[in-house]
Order: sequence, then structure tokens, then C-alpha cells
Amino acid sequence: MDYFIHVLVIVGIYAILSMSLDIIVGYTGIPALGHAAFSLIGAYTSALLSLRLGLSPWIGMFAGAFLASIAGAIFTYPAIRLKGDYLALATFGLGIIAYVIAKNWVSLTKGPMGLPGIPGFSLFGYELKEVWQYLLLILFFVAITYIFLSLLVNRPFGRVLKGIREDEIAIQALGKDISIFKLKVFMVGAFFAGIAGALYAHYITFIDPSSFTLMESITILVMLIFGGMGTLKGALLGAFLLVAIPEALRFLGLPSSVAAQLRQMLYGFILVILMLYRPQGLIGQYKWR
Amino acid sequence: MTSQIFFNALISASIYALIALGFVVIYSTVRFFHLAHGAVYTMGAYGAYTAVKLLSNSGSTGMQAVPLWIYAVATIAAMGIASATGILIDLLVYKPLRRTKATSLILLLASFGVFIFLENLIALIYGNQILSLRTGPVKEGYHLFGAVITPIQILIILSALIMFLFLFALTRLTKIGKAMRAVADDPVTASVVGINPEKVIFFAFALGSALAGLAGMLVSLETNLEPTMGFGALLKGTIAAIVGGIGSLTGALLGSIFLGFTENIAVWFLPAGWKDAIAFSVFLIFLLFRPEGILGKKEEEAG
Repeated sequence: MDYFIHVLVIVGIYAILSMSLDIIVGYTGIPALGHAAFSLIGAYTSALLSLRLGLSPWIGMFAGAFLASIAGAIFTYPAIRLKGDYLALATFGLGIIAYVIAKNWVSLTKGPMGLPGIPGFSLFGYELKEVWQYLLLILFFVAITYIFLSLLVNRPFGRVLKGIREDEIAIQALGKDISIFKLKVFMVGAFFAGIAGALYAHYITFIDPSSFTLMESITILVMLIFGGMGTLKGALLGAFLLVAIPEALRFLGLPSSVAAQLRQMLYGFILVILMLYRPQGLIGQYKWR
Repeated sequence: MTSQIFFNALISASIYALIALGFVVIYSTVRFFHLAHGAVYTMGAYGAYTAVKLLSNSGSTGMQAVPLWIYAVATIAAMGIASATGILIDLLVYKPLRRTKATSLILLLASFGVFIFLENLIALIYGNQILSLRTGPVKEGYHLFGAVITPIQILIILSALIMFLFLFALTRLTKIGKAMRAVADDPVTASVVGINPEKVIFFAFALGSALAGLAGMLVSLETNLEPTMGFGALLKGTIAAIVGGIGSLTGALLGSIFLGFTENIAVWFLPAGWKDAIAFSVFLIFLLFRPEGILGKKEEEAG
């Protein structure tokens, strides 16, 4: 039973990640392929603050999310001028640079050995230990993310984002400064990715750079495209299906290394098939152009 | 010491050039970033490995040197398998996408999907462990101007140089090479004068992928094989091609030299683990300040 609840916790973390990517990719149409970099920043900041300074994970989580948001702004500000493929490759670069820093700044991050023994969350002095308690916590954050982001995209702000996606020049002609909008949307997306990273770190209690590779960014993106970009429900659906389906591979009795490879092959295959036959995903409102 | 850094930089540059040249041959005809090129490179390396294992079947203890002709056959196998993989990817994925007038971003994502698929397929078949193509006792390299350089490293440098000259001559002197340049310039006008772009693209995939296979084989002789080897190679090759000025062979060569030297000079000051971050920082700086690369002309797309 704990196993199923654990899978649902992972679904929840990916749901936050894919929703936070959706407002960047799906609503604003920016090809961002390095989203794991932001959850890396959130996870490491929060983990290090609680391990080194003994701060509460709650403070660490918001510090991590805030730092991820700042990183999003610092990165985006220069990169925003790029278009299409080049922006995609630049975001690739962001993902790799974050990974290389986490792996090589050994004195801070312990590099490939990772950070073990990250303390869990506690609520009113009561420490969360059971998996189902974490499920409730994660569901709470999924709900907050969903509500916050849907309020955001349904306001005029969100309509400008969709406008940028459909026709940048037309939006500029209306007197909107599109770089400011792109900057803001990256900051919001990075913030929630940082939250997801911190939740992951304190739930699993161990992180190392290999949890935040480029493959991880692509996994989030595939979930989003599969569910459907430009709608938060699509992001939720994609996260649920693409965590649940590969989990079924476990029941075939395959060795775990084979199962991991098959899962990644499946993601690659789904990406190709989606691009070929259904770029808008299952319930998407936007497709890559 | 400085001469060793010079040689190391030259070797890195040659490896990047072998990948970047094939990448550019394909890019110039299809106009999108064919990221699966990295997996094609890995396929080449494993093709060579399989050929050597099948032909030498001496229950080898690893100490026995494999005769040279086996390596010759393995080279052909590497290039053949890589070429076939490249052609298949084009026919099964890119060609249908071109027909739907897919943008380069969609093609880029699809190619990354292919990359992930193939990389994990190789890992599934051969396992995740590191394999080696080298057999026989390790020989000491030559001493040259106070640096040590191995025969394989010399072979890599020569191959890169020969391949560059070969491609340069091909695109200037032969009919198919000129057709490639025509399609690269303007596919529509090229088809007006009777060049079939699909044929040229087919040829570009066959040729560029064979080059990737050769690179994969040479690099696995120099270092080792592992399923994830294509990713780093792909990144460096792509960065070199863009930094040099995407679409131009001379640019790919210059970009590779620039990247090889920057990295090797930088690891003088920083631990070697930072190489990838250095390469990407170079890339980002170029993207921001000179997106058209060292040689490239300004394009509205790149700005």
C-alpha cells in the first residue's frame, strides 16, 4: 500500500513541475528544455540550509524557490532575445551548467556522493514520517500550484502570455514589453519548480546531481506535451499517466536497470510519436510550431 | 607542459571536428539541429566493438593484440552501421515530419526523442558497463617537443584533417557536393533547376552519419565505450558547429579548434569536471553576442 502512495507522491511532484513548465512552454510558447535546473536549485538550497544551518524545511523550501526564481531571472534576461531552436539550446545549456556545478562544487554539494540524511517536514512540532502524510502535504502543494497558476493565466496577464505565444509582434504593437512578461513567467515557473525540488529533497531525504539531469528536464517536458500544453489539466494528466504507465513495467518482473532503460526508451518513443502524429498531446490547446 | 596542453587541445579539437563536420553536412541540407547525431555516433562505436569481438573470437584475454585488418573491417562496420542508422532516422521520422511542414523546433524535439530511444536501446543490449576496443599491451606514446602523443591520437588528428579536406573538395568539385550547397542555399530554387532535395538530403544523412561512425570508432579506441558517450560528443560537436558559424565546414573546423583550446586552457586553472560547463558558457556567450558564429553571416533567424 505504501508503494502506491509513494507513486502518488511522485506523481504530485511531477505534477507541480509540469504545471510550472506549462506556463513557460504551453502558455507563453517559450521552448524551455532545462527545467530540472530550477528544481535542482530548490532542492539543494533547501537541503543545505536544513543540513548545515539546521533551518526548518519550510524556510528552506521558500528560500530554495526564491533562489530558483532569481536564477530564472538572471538566466532569462539575456537569453530572452534568442528565438526558437537557439533558445531551446540555450535552455539546454542552463540545465547542463546547473548539473555540472552541483556535481563539481564538491565542498558545498558533496558532488556525486550526494547529500544523505536530509530532515523531513514537521508540522506544529509533529514530524511527518508516514508516506500518506507526505501525500497530503504534496496534494496540498499541487492544489496551491494549480489554483495560483490558474488564477494567473486567467487574468489579463495570462492573456498577454497567450498573445505572446500566438503573435509576438502583435502584442508588441499593443505596447506591451514582452521581455518583462517572459521574465516574470520564467520567475514564476522557476519558483514552483524550486518548491517541487525542495519537496522531493525532504521527502526522499537524499539528493544527488543525477536526479536533476537533462533527461529529467526532458521527462517533465514529455509529460507536459503528452498531457497537452496550454492547459493546466493537461499538465496534471500527463504527469499522472507518464509516472503510472512506466511503474507498470515493475510488475513484469524486470531487473531494475532494464526497467529504467525501458522507461527512458518509452519517453523517447512517446516524444517522437507525439511530434509525428499529435503535437498537441491528449487535451492540449497549443502545439509547437 | 605547454606543448602537452597544445597537443591535448589539438586532439580534443580534432574529435569535435569529426563530429561537427558530419553534423554540419546534415544541418546545411535540412536546417534543423539533428540531435540524434550523438546516438548515431554511439551506434558507430558499438558497431566497431561488435565487429572486433566477432572477428577476433579468440576467447581473448585482452592481452593479445588484434590484427590490424580487423580494425580496418571494424572501421567500415562502424561507418556502415552509423550511415544506415542516420538514413533510417531520416526516412522514418524526419521525412514524414518534413511532409507535414513541421518547424525546426518540432524536428529538434523529435530528434532528441530518437536520441534518447537509441541511447537506451544500446544500453539495453550491451549493458551499462564501460567496454574497451583496445587490445594488447598498452604502448608508450611518442615523445614530441616534450609532449607525449599516442599513435591513435595522431590518427585522430589526421582523420579530422583528411575528412575536412575531403568534404571541402566534395562540396566544391563534385556534382552531388554542389547540389548539397545549392540545397543548403535555397531548397526551392535548387528544385527549380532540377535538383531533387530529397536525394540530396538522403546523401547528406548517409555521408554525415558515416563520419559520426568514424568519430565514434576513433574515440572509443582513444578512450572507452559506454552507452552515454554520445551525449557529450553531441554537445561539443553542436557547440563547435554553432560557434564556428553553423552551416559552414570551415566554421565547424574553426569552432572545434576554438572550443578544444578554450577547454584545455581552462582546465589548466579548473578541475577537469568543469569542462562541460566551460563549453556551454562559451556557447551561451556566443549565442548572446555573436549568434551567427565566428564565420557566419547575420541571419534574421539567429538574432
